[in-house]
Amino acid sequence: MRKTAIRFLLALSLGGLLGTALSQDLVFPIGEDARFNWSDLERFEAIDLSGQTIEVFGPWLTVDRDLVLSVFAYFEQATGATIAYAGSDSFEQQIVIDVQAGSPPHLAVFPQPGLAADLAARGGLVPLGDELADVVRENYGAGQSWVDLGSYPDADGNVQFFALHYKSDLKSLVWYSPDNFADAGYEIPQTMEELIGLSDQIVADGGTPWCIGLGSGDATGWPATDWVEDLLLRTQPPEVYDGWVTNEIPFNDPRIVGAIELFGTFAKTEAYVDGGVSSVGSTDFRDSPVGLFTVPPRCYMHRQASFIPSFFPEGTELGVDADFFYFPAFENLDLGTPVLGAGTMWAMTRESEGARVLLDFLTTPLAHEIWMAQSGFLTPHLGVNLDAYANETLRGQGEILQSATTFRFDGSDLMPGQIGAGAFWTGMVNYVSGDSAQSVADDIQRSWDALR
Amino acid sequence: MTARVPGMTITWGRLLTHASLVLIVVLWTIPVLGLFISSLRDKDQLIVSGWWTAFSATERTAFGRTGAAAEAVEVDGEYVIEGDFLEDPRRTITSYGLRQTDLTAQAPGEPVAIDDTQFTLFEDGSYRWTSEEPFTHGAGRRIFYVASIPPTFSLENYREVLSGERIDRAFINTFTVTIPATLIPILIAAFAAYAFAWMKFPGRQWLFAIVVGLLVVPLQMSLIPLLRMYNDIGATFGVPSKTYLGIWLAHTGFGLPLAIYLLRNYIGGLPRDIIESAQLDGASHFEIFIRLILPLSVPALASFAIFQFLWVWNDLLVALVFLGKGDDQIVLTSSLRELLGSRGDNWEILTSGAFISIIVPLMVFFSLQRYFVRGLLAGSVKGG
Amino acid sequence: MTQQVLVALLAVIAGVGASLAYFFGTNLLLDRLAADGRKPDGSYLSREPLRNLIRPWLFVLPALVILGIYLVYPVVETARLSFFDRTGTEFVGLSNYVWAIQNPEFREAIRNNLLWLLFVPALSTAVGLLVATLADRVSWGNIAKSLIFMPMAISFVGASVIWKFVYDFRGPDAPQIGIVNAIVVALGGEPQAWITVPFWNNFLLMIILVWIQTGFAMVILSAALRGVPEETIEAAQIDGAGEIQVFFRIVIPQIMSTILVVWTTITIVVLKVFDIVLAMTNGQWGTNVLANSMYNWMFRGGGDFGRGSVIALVIMIAVVPIMVWNIRRFQAEEAMR
Repeated sequence: MRKTAIRFLLALSLGGLLGTALSQDLVFPIGEDARFNWSDLERFEAIDLSGQTIEVFGPWLTVDRDLVLSVFAYFEQATGATIAYAGSDSFEQQIVIDVQAGSPPHLAVFPQPGLAADLAARGGLVPLGDELADVVRENYGAGQSWVDLGSYPDADGNVQFFALHYKSDLKSLVWYSPDNFADAGYEIPQTMEELIGLSDQIVADGGTPWCIGLGSGDATGWPATDWVEDLLLRTQPPEVYDGWVTNEIPFNDPRIVGAIELFGTFAKTEAYVDGGVSSVGSTDFRDSPVGLFTVPPRCYMHRQASFIPSFFPEGTELGVDADFFYFPAFENLDLGTPVLGAGTMWAMTRESEGARVLLDFLTTPLAHEIWMAQSGFLTPHLGVNLDAYANETLRGQGEILQSATTFRFDGSDLMPGQIGAGAFWTGMVNYVSGDSAQSVADDIQRSWDALR
Repeated sequence: MTARVPGMTITWGRLLTHASLVLIVVLWTIPVLGLFISSLRDKDQLIVSGWWTAFSATERTAFGRTGAAAEAVEVDGEYVIEGDFLEDPRRTITSYGLRQTDLTAQAPGEPVAIDDTQFTLFEDGSYRWTSEEPFTHGAGRRIFYVASIPPTFSLENYREVLSGERIDRAFINTFTVTIPATLIPILIAAFAAYAFAWMKFPGRQWLFAIVVGLLVVPLQMSLIPLLRMYNDIGATFGVPSKTYLGIWLAHTGFGLPLAIYLLRNYIGGLPRDIIESAQLDGASHFEIFIRLILPLSVPALASFAIFQFLWVWNDLLVALVFLGKGDDQIVLTSSLRELLGSRGDNWEILTSGAFISIIVPLMVFFSLQRYFVRGLLAGSVKGG
Repeated sequence: MTQQVLVALLAVIAGVGASLAYFFGTNLLLDRLAADGRKPDGSYLSREPLRNLIRPWLFVLPALVILGIYLVYPVVETARLSFFDRTGTEFVGLSNYVWAIQNPEFREAIRNNLLWLLFVPALSTAVGLLVATLADRVSWGNIAKSLIFMPMAISFVGASVIWKFVYDFRGPDAPQIGIVNAIVVALGGEPQAWITVPFWNNFLLMIILVWIQTGFAMVILSAALRGVPEETIEAAQIDGAGEIQVFFRIVIPQIMSTILVVWTTITIVVLKVFDIVLAMTNGQWGTNVLANSMYNWMFRGGGDFGRGSVIALVIMIAVVPIMVWNIRRFQAEEAMR
């Protein structure tokens, strides 16, 4: 009797799952806008997935959540499938819990390839197959490198293709208000030397050059890792960067410590940052760009990735109220124009037919164009219509991506999770709070040594 | 009790008593008060001024952008661009200027010359920009102003949270978790407590000692093994491992030691004669328990119910681990933490979201408060 | 929406109903199966002894099974896992323990936990006792008690939002919206990002728990205070003792055992504290505590079950002396009954 009751209860709790389809209107009516490759939908209209629910779990909330749902809407409309998306700010921990508990979603959206590789090694991911890898190789710019980013050893040590890249971010950007620059008579700096000179100039004029905030809930500290990576690429050849990411070059190597100290020049100079050095660690990174738009401006520049406009104040118009320039390289070091990027990797944590079809859909140009045409989305996909980019700003970022002499993926995302999503963050928070670059680098290296 | 002679010392003493109690109460309530007032305020005011200034008007500096040249219309040989910087009619412009360094340059309604053109920003936020020659500028020109925002209180923030952030679903989910997770342990614990208090069976003493000992097991310890067990059960029977049943039983397990401890002390303290005379009448222990003990134990049951209710309602960790993140399973504490993370910049969402999460426990507490004190009195502090 | 409410309602009824059904079902079944009967020779056979042998186990069985699964088994399993590697598959001997001892972050968590153990129970109990004493002397005592108890009803996460608002920091030029900084500025001081001030930020986090737990201490102590016989107080007053003397010499000794109960309970809460630290700082700026550190090791960056288990065991070992003391106290009480 009790057993029947349990079955009944389980059925009930399952019933809850199925009743959560969210209806979402299509943002661009099908077939109307000629910028989109509408024909991509035809293939999926032939597939009937009605009644199937695909669970997707990712890091996106609020604005980005709505954007990804707007892409899903086309897939749902075409195939009849239901996509249940759940987003979490503590995605990094939650996905580990889910996989360990044996109740993972069908698809997980990893902001960090390192974490995906970690779960793959424990048998937590389902291989996506060579066919999809070939699609990526053929259709993505520098396709092999994107295949490599998604290929990890499985539990038996065989390297397989586990994760599909969809949605890139460009990190090497400095955001500013063109009006404020014009009013103060500042020019966009072309070299790192000029950038530092401009910072001093702004201080001399009584302003504050930078807004920097490292706060991010559980992930507090990560914005600083981007700074360090960008600066490492600007002070050392890319080989040093690659060695650092795999720890062939230890974290406390003088070259790495130098990059951390260079970050300190910006973040630990009292007059350089809005609110002073003590506010850097605790200010939320989503809060920090707001200083660009206050009257009078609390700061003039904000170095952050291409997704940050989502957090600009309501009504901020890109290209008018806000714009960006490339975080420049040192003129005298002759390291070219390095670019730091990142992106999300979609991996299958539970086998499902619908999830495979959805991944297939994400490799079509249309799936990229729909998000491109809205905001905060870049793509290395070669088949997309570049006219679909919502504005000049995004198109400009695409150009930076193309003209890069060196492109590197966010290093902290490639490091083992305990470092890239742990010791590195804590180390950066400690550095901004007063520790020396050498001592935090030693600490991080010690944590790395203690890994197994 | 004793007749005290009213005199200076006693008056001072009483004054001190009142004063120190007032001080502590104020210290303790200020944080909640701040949250409550903030949650009723306008979101633009919230981020520029402290909640204690809520009853006075605040000033906000901002800029508006005029229309582009293309928006100009020709009226009587003049080119005119018109628009409105303030959407909210209650706000007013107190001064404006062309540069952010002199925001007080112009009073509202007072025209200012921009090259050969004339610009006026009026008190209600509307502006009029006129020129005899056609406008040629590209993007609109920025005009800087100081606006006065009157104190306003509304339920707007609550509406936003309740509609936009899945809190309503989280509410239902939290109730789905909380009610059984409160009732089931009470039921199980009451039976066990009665057995430990009044029934004779081998090992009674040391079994109870172990139960008390388990009071102190940190529940974080249980997470990994239980996750694995749920995982195995889920795999064996082909059912999901994150279910409401799973979290009810988990909360039951974690709440049982305290429940058994409290209830056994209370039930054990009931008069022996009641039970013995019922036994003489031929009643079984089951009948005695249902007909006599349960009604008599209501205060103790209620007091434990509050404890367990507050604990389950406010729990984050167990929910984080044993329940999913989807709309159908997310609980209030989880969604509130998501708000904290994803909306680091939206205090109006945070404050109203937090207040929504505490309103139910407060109601439960105030309505069951008298049972609570009585139950504890009879239970754990016997003979104190 | 309606569907979800319906599903929830059904689930609630089914869950509670199932446990009720167990108790009624098994007991009625016992009465039926082991009912009194007649011996073959026709004489009356009472099966009461048999029923009395079985019934206690029907009463305690659900509790014992659930406790065994949810508390005893995990303790054993955690102890086992602490000797295994990060995935719990390979035996690694004592290496997790060695790691813990050598890890500075772990030592920092221990230090912070000790601070918490020293201050939070002491402060909560002291303020709780003060309020309980004062509130009995004024007419509005019950209102005061309710207000002090209110934070008990607030979740740790909700409390974190409230206190983030209290400690909020804006740059020196901007108006402060956090009340602490507003007061500091009004008094002519420099605003601070309080939550990042090393060492002292631990106390700012502790205040939150004190704020929550004082209500608990107050309610229990105020009940105990009412139990103090008035004759003992009157006798002391006749001997010429002042109010403060009466309080410390007569009242405190009589409620000492209750004070210790309160102290113990709050100590256990402190050892388990996790939510406040996670939501306020996640252990950054030197505020890590054991429970938060354990959570991070178990689930962050892929997780490490072995190391997480070691930290969990440390938390439990810290509680053992308190547990032993509790059981002793219970046995002594039992003997006096």
